Amino acid sequence: MEALAVKNIVKKFPNVLANDNVSLSIEKGEIFAIVGENGAGKSTLMKIVYGLYTPNSGEIFVFGNKEDIKNSHDAIKLKIGMVHQEFMLIPRFTVTENIVLGDEPKKGVVFDYKRAVLEVKELSEKFGLKINPTEKVENLSVGIQQRVEILKILRRGAEILILDEPTAVLTPQETEELFKTLNALKQNGKTIIFISHKLGEVMEIADRVAVMRRGKVQGVVNKPDTSEKELAKMMVGRDVVLEVPQVKVEKGKVVFSVSGLTVKNTRGIIGLKNVSFEVYSGEIVGIAGVEGNGQAELVNAILGFLKPINGKIYMGMEEMKFITPYNMRTRGMSYITEDRKRRGLVLPFKARENVIMGQHSLYPFSNKGILNNQAIDEFVTKKLEEFDVRPPNGYIKAESFSGGNQQKIILAREMSMKHSFLLASQPTRGLDVGATEFVYKILVEEKKKSKGVLLISLELSEIMGLSDRILVLYGGEIVGEVMPSETTEEEIGLMMLGLKRKERVEQ
Amino acid sequence: MKELFYRLFVERKEKYWWMNLLVPVTSIVIALIVGAIFIWSTGRDPFLAYKLLFNASGLVPGPYWKSSFTEMLLSSSLFIATGLAFAIAARSGLFSIGAEGQFTVGAITAAYFGYAKPFAALPTIIHLTIILLMVMLAGGLWGFVAGYLRAKKGINEVIVTIMLNWIAFHLIEGWLVTGPMAADVSTGVISGTPSVSPTARLPIILHNTRLNIGILIMIAVIIIIWFLLYKTTFGFEIRAMGHTAVWGMEASRVQGININKRIMQVMLISGAIAALGGSFITLGINFHYPPVADSGYGFDGIAVALIGQNEPFGILFSGILIGALRTGATAVQIAHIPKTFPSIIEGLIVAFIALQELIRYLLFKLVKTKRTAQTEGGLTQ
Repeated sequence: MEALAVKNIVKKFPNVLANDNVSLSIEKGEIFAIVGENGAGKSTLMKIVYGLYTPNSGEIFVFGNKEDIKNSHDAIKLKIGMVHQEFMLIPRFTVTENIVLGDEPKKGVVFDYKRAVLEVKELSEKFGLKINPTEKVENLSVGIQQRVEILKILRRGAEILILDEPTAVLTPQETEELFKTLNALKQNGKTIIFISHKLGEVMEIADRVAVMRRGKVQGVVNKPDTSEKELAKMMVGRDVVLEVPQVKVEKGKVVFSVSGLTVKNTRGIIGLKNVSFEVYSGEIVGIAGVEGNGQAELVNAILGFLKPINGKIYMGMEEMKFITPYNMRTRGMSYITEDRKRRGLVLPFKARENVIMGQHSLYPFSNKGILNNQAIDEFVTKKLEEFDVRPPNGYIKAESFSGGNQQKIILAREMSMKHSFLLASQPTRGLDVGATEFVYKILVEEKKKSKGVLLISLELSEIMGLSDRILVLYGGEIVGEVMPSETTEEEIGLMMLGLKRKERVEQ
Repeated sequence: MKELFYRLFVERKEKYWWMNLLVPVTSIVIALIVGAIFIWSTGRDPFLAYKLLFNASGLVPGPYWKSSFTEMLLSSSLFIATGLAFAIAARSGLFSIGAEGQFTVGAITAAYFGYAKPFAALPTIIHLTIILLMVMLAGGLWGFVAGYLRAKKGINEVIVTIMLNWIAFHLIEGWLVTGPMAADVSTGVISGTPSVSPTARLPIILHNTRLNIGILIMIAVIIIIWFLLYKTTFGFEIRAMGHTAVWGMEASRVQGININKRIMQVMLISGAIAALGGSFITLGINFHYPPVADSGYGFDGIAVALIGQNEPFGILFSGILIGALRTGATAVQIAHIPKTFPSIIEGLIVAFIALQELIRYLLFKLVKTKRTAQTEGGLTQ
């Protein structure tokens, strides 16, 4: 039976044709994935189905009936539920309060909290989604918060569940849990639409996959008939090379090192214990580990946002006494962040301002404190083209670019700054295949230019493919140091889970 | 003309840049309409009230225009000063409500250096220069304290500036004016501080009026602040800070901007500008520091900055607007309306400015439907 069908949907935004005659048909009880690069129109299509956007033309059929979905209330009535990328939960409220919000069980006119808790308990048992109904949402991990969101839409009777990039915020373990949940829901006869650009996950969970590119459906394939490679090709429109050719560069001097670094995080817990390592010029040092095992503390200590309680940080041979982003950058550090919106860009600033930020006080961008707009424009135009930012218009605000292009703006800035050491913290997080490929290319180029690169990543394949040396972080400690050629993903995986240790290899 | 407008205000190269002008103007018009409803509901004539208000405000030519116009500019220069002081702090993400205290500090400093013996004999130009420099130094220091505490100790600038306002108030009116700086009462001429020497008075620029060079100085300051904001690396950095002042936004810091240094500098500048306004009231209007000062300019500055959208040239116009409303205030009494009525309008304007996102949205909708109607009309032809 057909659960949902869209026919000839067209949605125009100023300057962009987001959905160009899109038709899809989704069967009841299947997990249907929609993949595509950032800006391919997947989210737009789902927002149309959920009533958040009105299409310029086209029809929507829900369980065989033609429906006119004007807003999300209509969608909920038609048993369509959506879990957004950004959760819409109230942190101070309990799980129960969040789930029943807007449709509370009442005793007369009073909110019947006891009954609400019971209802939530029943619901969580029915679908096998374990949860503590009286816990406050602010105390929950992101994965559990997502579970609350799913329960919330299930309680409203959703039969069709739309999940917009649900794994973007999850750790690998949480993703596993989510997939178990989705399979359980499928057993219960729910229809799931799974939007993603992570092909590995799609291949794991989906029954059928639709590929979108530039607002059009490129094709719908059954999972058994396809491969990651084929999907990537359909998505980008050409062959994607995510395997990086091994480049050997002569190792040079130490450009960055930490010794005995111990850091307390903002919650007052020791997040990094006695960590020491060096990064040489011409090498990429990969830091593998499950999220929350000290990566954030390490980055924040290097930026000076967390003051180490012990240990030293060196740029080259110089010990950094006063660590601030400014001091680190003037000593030759560039930094690619995973948190583009908060750390990487001043969102209301134009692309041109973001590209020169950090070097704006240098000649030729300014002279005696006065900005030289002509020099800035020339430089920015050149850089935006070099880094293939689309559209290559420096006068557009950073917030208006897609995620991949925002990352390219950051790359354009960080690569053009004078530096000897690059701190790349999850540089491909949330990026589609095309942009990921681009980031890999840049990292390898950095190595060729004899810069030292510290690559922190949660994606094991990324670490294995790019690094010359791998350090594994577990519980804030380095539990192993291995060469990618002498190890396997399994071995690193065991170290990441704290089940194996390996001594440092001799330099 | 459009080109000039564009370059002066906007510098934004945005598609709908004129929205930034249209939104405040719409807010003002709506506020006037709502104000009219208020008057009408009390059974008085709103048209008469507005006629009286604007005739006396100095905005439209009429009887006694010269005097009302110059009076309007005179008070506008004070509002512009406190408005700019708030705006520059706001642009860097600081919520400084210390203009009130800095304003009075400026006023008392001007009074002291205005009457103090060793300076009183100097030629006007030198005397005035010294006074204004000392005023900016004192006010700047008053602002710097808040900036320093924020930058070095992380103490919220809102709290510190409020407390500094009270410190300034009690220090000046509770002690200085009645104590060490009090005029010799036995002469029986004035109370408060002694009068400033004639060489310390701001030169009059229009004969037979009180209009002095204060407004010209303020216009120069506006231009300087505009240049600072949009043309220098300093302004680039503080705008970046302002855009990332929301909790959790770290982009400007991560990109290597020395935020703590900039916070202190911005507060220094902010305090200096507010104090400059305070000196104008002493050197151009009262000619001494009265025992009880007519205050409130510092807080009105917040409204001025809001209406002017924290843009230097926007503040020029909003300062003039508020100055005009205050100048025309007394005239509405002829229509049996209390002279505080213009303050209601002021409040309404601020309220509608606060709703600017809604107004912006409605205006956009209006523009869009018009555009689509036009294109569709074009298709049928």
